[in-house]
This record gives sequence, structure tokens and C-alpha cells, in this order.
Amino acid sequence: MTTRIFEVQDVRYCYERVVALDGTSLTVPSGVRVALLGANGSGKSTLLRLLDGLYFAESGVLRFAGEPLTEARFEDESFSFDFRRRVGILFQNPDVQLFNPSVFDEVAFGPLQLRWPPEEIRKRVGAILDALHIAHLKDRPPHRLSGGEKKRVAIASVLVLDPQVLLLDEPTAALDPQSQGQMIDMISAWKDTGRTVVTATHDLHSVEDIADYCFVFEAGRVLAEGTPSDILQDVGLLRRTGLLHSHRHTHPSGEIHSHPHQHHDH
Amino acid sequence: MHIPDGYLSPSTCAALYAASAPFWYVSLRRLQRALRSRLIPLLSVFAAFSFVVMMFNMPLPGGTTGHAVGVSIASIVLGPWASILAISIALLIQAVFFGDGGITALGANCFNMAVAGSLAAYAIYRVISGNCSIGSRRRVVAAGLAGYLSINLSALLAAVEFGIQPLFFRDAGGAPLYAPYPLKVAVPAMMLGHLTVAGVAEAVLAAGLVAWLQRSHPSLLRATAPNAPETNGAAADGWPAIRPLLVGLSILLLVTPLGILAVGSAWGEWSPRDFADPAVRRQIAAVSLHQQPPSIVPAGLQRLSAVWTAPFPAYAPPFLRSASFGYLLSATFGAGLILLVAVGADRVFSGRRGSG
Amino acid sequence: MGSHGFLEGSIQGFLRALEHALESEELARRNGLLQSLDPRVKLIGTLGLVLAATTSRRLAVIAALFALACLLAACSRVPLRTLMFRTWAGALTFTGVIALPAVFLTPGPLFWRLPLLGFPVTLTGLRTAAYLVSRVETAATLSMLLVLCTPWSHVLKALRVLRVPVVLVVILGMTYRYILLMIAAAREMFESRRSRTVGRLDAGQRRRMAVSAAGVLLSRTMQLSGDVYLAMQARGFRGDVYVLDEFRMDGRNWVWLALLIALGGAAVWAGRS
Repeated sequence: MTTRIFEVQDVRYCYERVVALDGTSLTVPSGVRVALLGANGSGKSTLLRLLDGLYFAESGVLRFAGEPLTEARFEDESFSFDFRRRVGILFQNPDVQLFNPSVFDEVAFGPLQLRWPPEEIRKRVGAILDALHIAHLKDRPPHRLSGGEKKRVAIASVLVLDPQVLLLDEPTAALDPQSQGQMIDMISAWKDTGRTVVTATHDLHSVEDIADYCFVFEAGRVLAEGTPSDILQDVGLLRRTGLLHSHRHTHPSGEIHSHPHQHHDH
Repeated sequence: MHIPDGYLSPSTCAALYAASAPFWYVSLRRLQRALRSRLIPLLSVFAAFSFVVMMFNMPLPGGTTGHAVGVSIASIVLGPWASILAISIALLIQAVFFGDGGITALGANCFNMAVAGSLAAYAIYRVISGNCSIGSRRRVVAAGLAGYLSINLSALLAAVEFGIQPLFFRDAGGAPLYAPYPLKVAVPAMMLGHLTVAGVAEAVLAAGLVAWLQRSHPSLLRATAPNAPETNGAAADGWPAIRPLLVGLSILLLVTPLGILAVGSAWGEWSPRDFADPAVRRQIAAVSLHQQPPSIVPAGLQRLSAVWTAPFPAYAPPFLRSASFGYLLSATFGAGLILLVAVGADRVFSGRRGSG
Repeated sequence: MGSHGFLEGSIQGFLRALEHALESEELARRNGLLQSLDPRVKLIGTLGLVLAATTSRRLAVIAALFALACLLAACSRVPLRTLMFRTWAGALTFTGVIALPAVFLTPGPLFWRLPLLGFPVTLTGLRTAAYLVSRVETAATLSMLLVLCTPWSHVLKALRVLRVPVVLVVILGMTYRYILLMIAAAREMFESRRSRTVGRLDAGQRRRMAVSAAGVLLSRTMQLSGDVYLAMQARGFRGDVYVLDEFRMDGRNWVWLALLIALGGAAVWAGRS
């Protein structure tokens, strides 16, 4: 009984003169965790912004639960509120997402815009801060947070609305290993909870933990798709799309050579 | 130039809050219409930029450094209305949070720098740059002059506000209650620092940034140059086309000392002998609100003061000479005239934009 | 001024601002008198006292207000050292230099003649200088106390009682947040330039360096404002903003509000000439 959350058909999008998406097509079923894999500039972040109704396709069709996502559709306040409530996006740079003077204000921003009653807002914000173990940061200004804390506050500000669809842009980028681990654990725990999660990443280590299905991007198009294990085995594909790297390193035998590899077991 | 609390009387402060208020209101209204929901992030982030740029120590010719206000570059990139608000917000945070500039004097600081500075910078930039191409050198020159002149206008307004305090506000024993120096001291003292240092810092920042934007982000210069051609057209940007503008420029340059003359020489009270007096000279240096007063050249000053004072007493209406309200009248008149020109220029340009 | 003076000068300025922000947050969390009051009470109270300090025509009244400010500081656990370095020293050197010539130049009854130089010191001149310096110090101390004892986000929300529009309250909060982000970015830029710069730079190079730093900051500014706009939209922002009013006035706050207003009113009354 899987329904389609997102349908993308032959979508094109350009920034001034650079083509970011060039005939992209894919489908995201409900309740599935999907990874968009690709090197920087392959168009996956742009696609996330289109999926969140922040940018609009120049040509092609984009549907959310059967509804076309167009600028005109978002003029309708009740549609817009409903969509914002159901779909949350985590930006790659948390400084963009934390624009309020304190952590509490930050997390309360979304509910306030959707005009929840004040009592409800206080209760929900308190609950989500507790759940993410950041209640002690409540009154902190954003510039007094570490990178990992900023990320967690950004997530709290998204999760406070309890969205059923999450769009994550490079959620582990620029985090220390411990925070990276916590982030991956959180996304892993969302498996089979009914949440739809779309993660844009070029980090192959964690793909199997955070995704049930993958799309590989290159130059604004979907080049391949499949389960994480299928994709990870296709070394030729990963190499071509810049997801694998080679550098010289020493093996225990003392041999020094270079070949494409992932740091799976390092 | 950030006036602290205690330099201006509450009534002066209230008057300048009242003078700024309509500009804030009109700017907010216009921007809400033009930017809609983009208003909040754009203004916030740009006000933050202005604030940080005010902290830059700009290296100036002659090995000194000075602080710019950033009002001219804000007007060039955002237009005068957004600049009025962005600079006012930056000044508010400086005053309230960092204690730089007073809370009661905030209206005065906003009027001098944000309102008058933005409108003057925008008008000067638009008049001089005309419709030359985005990449033209004329835009760099226009930005530099806009920066230099607008900061000096702001300083002049501040000096006039200081200078009228001792006229109106003295205690029972005759001691001035607020800024103690009369116009004839306050104006030259303020202007010296700004004509030589702060104005140059602002000009360097504005001209330098416009040149930088031409190379790296020409699209950011579009907002205030709607009809400018994209590419460098040699014919349009050559000297012949500039000539009429140079006339306009020279008139502007004439107006600046004239403005100082009108209020500074204060109907001939100011004699070059003042400048021979070491005490007065030191006083002038001290009253300059700039952190790094430049070295004073008494001879040059003496000549300058002679130039400024020479023609004036003859024209001065005698009934104003004694009346203290004459100072206020002339200052208000001068400031109003400059603002009127600025607003008028904006009208003309926005009208043209609308029809074109 | 050395060839790196402008880098040094700017970096020092950035560090001072960051330190100031840090210290205010620290003090605002302390357990003191002003910290325990409703931000709106503090805002109206301090504004009233600042106004009284600027209106007064009697030195004694300004001095009393200054003493009151010091008392409030002591009850709020604001160290005198902080006030001294943050406010008094700066205001004194700045305004002191400006007020000093007035001591000699204001006409009035001769009080004393400076030895050697022979400058006349007049009583009127002394009073003039005292007015300026005491007023500046008192107003600066009072307004600094408000900021040192109140988290910035609370100061902003308190502005709502003065009928400041919500849009402006939100903009001020966001501006402050991005000021600190950009100061950090600018500091990084200047420090990396300092470490890469060996030998003397000529004036033109220094100027280009400063201008390009400002340019990089400006282009980041435009990028940031676009991205922040998207992030706001993504959470339901449609142009009208809403803020949560968190403050509760209790009896104690009403008493303090009345007390501060009464003190301000008394000072205004006593300060008439």
C-alpha cells in the first residue's frame, strides 16, 4: 500500500547561467528512506529545495502526494501551512537555519508561524528539547553553540512540527565524529517508522544505515538507482560519479599503492 | 560621529527623533511593498554587514586609518530606503548593545547618518553615474564622491546640532548644559576630521567596493542602475559624455564648503584670528569627534577660513546676526534644502524607472 | 602606524565586540537584583533614569543618579571593574578630551590660573565640563546596566511595550545574531591575511586588502540573506511574523516599576533650574 510522496518528472532548474537539474526524474515512495548520492554540484541539494517548495521547476512536473508543487499552489495559505507542517528540511549550513536570538525562540519559530496556541508551543518545544538532550541550551544564543549542538538545535526546530517527510542536506557534513555518529543513529532509528526521509549526501560509509534506496546523481540527472548494497558494489559507477577516491596508502604488507577505495573499515 | 547621551538636550533629541520618524515610516512602507516577505532577512543580514564594516579600520593615504560608516555602499547596493533602515538598525544595536552612541541621541545619529547620509549618497551616486554601463569607471568615481560627501554632510549636521546647544541650553549661572562649543568652533572641529579622515575612509570603502563588485558580482550593482547597459560602451563612457556631469560635480563640490560657510562662519563671527590662538586650535582638535584627529596645518586653515568668511558677512541679513534663532533657522534650512534635493532626485529617478 | 596596523586594529575591534557579547551573557545569568526583574520594568526604568540624567540642570542630581546606577550595579553583581573598563574609561577619555578646553574657554569668573601656561580656569568652565562628563558617564552606565543584566533576546521582546513593531523586533534579533557570525567570519579572514602577509605592504595593497575583505563579506551577506529567507519559508514563514510573549508581571515587578519611575520623576523634578 505504498503511496508516492514525491514524483519528479523530467525536471529542469537553472541558477542564472548554470544548469543544476537537467531532466531529473525519480519517485520517492511513502515511508521509505532514500539517499541522493552525488559529488558536490551534481544537483542533489537543488532537488531537495525543489522538493521543499522553495524553488520551482522551470519545466517538468513535481508532485507531492499527488499535488503539483507550483508557486501558485503555495499562494494558498492553507496548502502552504499543511505542506510546511508535513515536510521539514535540514539545511547543510546550520548558521542559515538558526536565525533567532535563542535556542528556545529558534525551536518555537515554526510553530509560531503556523499559529499554534502558545501553551501548546511551550509544551512541544520543551518536549523536543528534552528528547534531543538539549534542554540545557534553551536560553543560549546560537553563536554560543558548538557545531554538533547547532545541528541538533536545527533538527529540533524541524522535528518540533513532527513532519512525516524529512529532507536532509548533508546532515553529517562538518561534524565531529561523535556528532556524526549520533546523527546517523537518529536517521537509522527512523527506519520503518512511517517517516519518509530523503538524504542528500556524498558520504558512502553511512548509506546502508540511513537509506533503504539510493539515487546516484551526475550533472543534474539520475544516473542509476538501486538498494544501497547494489550501488556500493558498482565501483565503476561510483568512480565515474566522483564518489570514490584514490590516494596512496600503505598496506600491512608494506606495499604502497593507490586504488579507488572507501574508508569502510578504517 | 556617534553622538553619546549627554551631548544634546532632550528637546534636540526629541526633535531629531521626530525628524527621523517619517523617513523610517516611509522606508518601511515602501520596502514592505517592494520586498514583501524578503524584507526581514535582507534587512537583518545587511544591517549586520553594515555593523561589521563600521568596525573595519580602513587604511588611508598618508598611513592613517579611519572607520567608515558604510552608508554609501548600502545606498548603492540596496537603494536609499533600505539603507535608511539597515543603517538605523545597525546604529541602534551599536547604541543599545555596545554603548557606542547614546540612546536618547539615537534619533540624532540616525537622522545624520542613516537618513541624510543615505539620501545624499544615493542622489550623488545616481546623478554622477547617470546611465553609464555597470562596469564603467564613472561608477567608481561616483561611489567615492557619494561616500565622501555624504559622510561630510552627516558630520555637518552633527556639528550644527552640537553648535546650537550652548545657544539654548545654559544653567542659571550661564554654564552650557550640554555640548559646550558654539557653531564657530563645533563646525570646523567636526569638519576637519571628516574632510580629511572619515570622509576619505568612506570614499575608499565605497569606491573600492563598487570596483570590487564590478569584477566579482556586477549583478549587485543592478538595483540602483536599472537602465545601465551590461557591457562597457566606450562611446557612452568616454570623457565627452562625462563633461556635463563634471559641471554638476563641481557645483556639488562648491555646495559643500558653502554649506559649511552658511552655518560655520555664522554671519561673520568667525575670524582668522581664532586660528592663530593656540588654545582655540587645541580646542578644535579636541572637539573633533574622530578618534584620530589629523595633524592641523594652521596656515592652510587660516587661508581656508579666509576663503570661507570673506564673501559672507556682506550677504548676511543683519536682523539674523544677533538673533540666536538665526542659527537654528539657517541650519534647518540648509539641512532641509539638501534633503529636499536628495528626495527630489530620487523622485525623478524612480519616475524614470517606472516609465522605462 | 605599521603596515599591519589596520589588520591589528580591526582584529582588536572584533575581539572586543565578541568579548563584550560574552561578558553580557555571563552577567545576565547571574543571580542579582536587575537580573530578577521583568525586562520591561528594566527597560522603562532605565530609560526614565537616562532621561532624567539628560534633563537635569543640577550637577548634584546627576551625581545622585550616578550613585544610584552604581548601587544598582552592586546589587546586580556587576563588578565595578567591568563598568570601569567597559564604560567609564572610554567615556571619560573621549568626553574628557572634548570637555577639557571648555574649562579654559568658557567665559566667567576666574577660579584659578594654570601655572606656567597661564590659562584661566573659570568656574563656569568647570561647571560646563562637569555637566558634560557627568551626564555622559551616568547615561552610559545606566544603559549599559540594562544590557549587562538582560539577555539580548529579552531586551528585544521588552521593546514591544514601547510599541516597536514586531517586524523590527525580529529584525533586531536576527541582525544581532548575524553580526556575531560576521564578526567571526571577518576575524578569520583578517587573521589568515595577517598570517600570510610577510614584509611591508604599500598603502595601495593594504587598501585593496581591506576592500576585498569587505567585498567578500558583502557577497556572503547577499548569499546568506537568500538562504535565510529559504530557511524561514521552509518553517512556515509567509511575511508576517509572530513572537511568543514570555513575560509575566508579578507584584514585586510592579513595585519596582513604580519605584524606578518615581525615582526618575523625582530626579526630573529636582533637576529643574
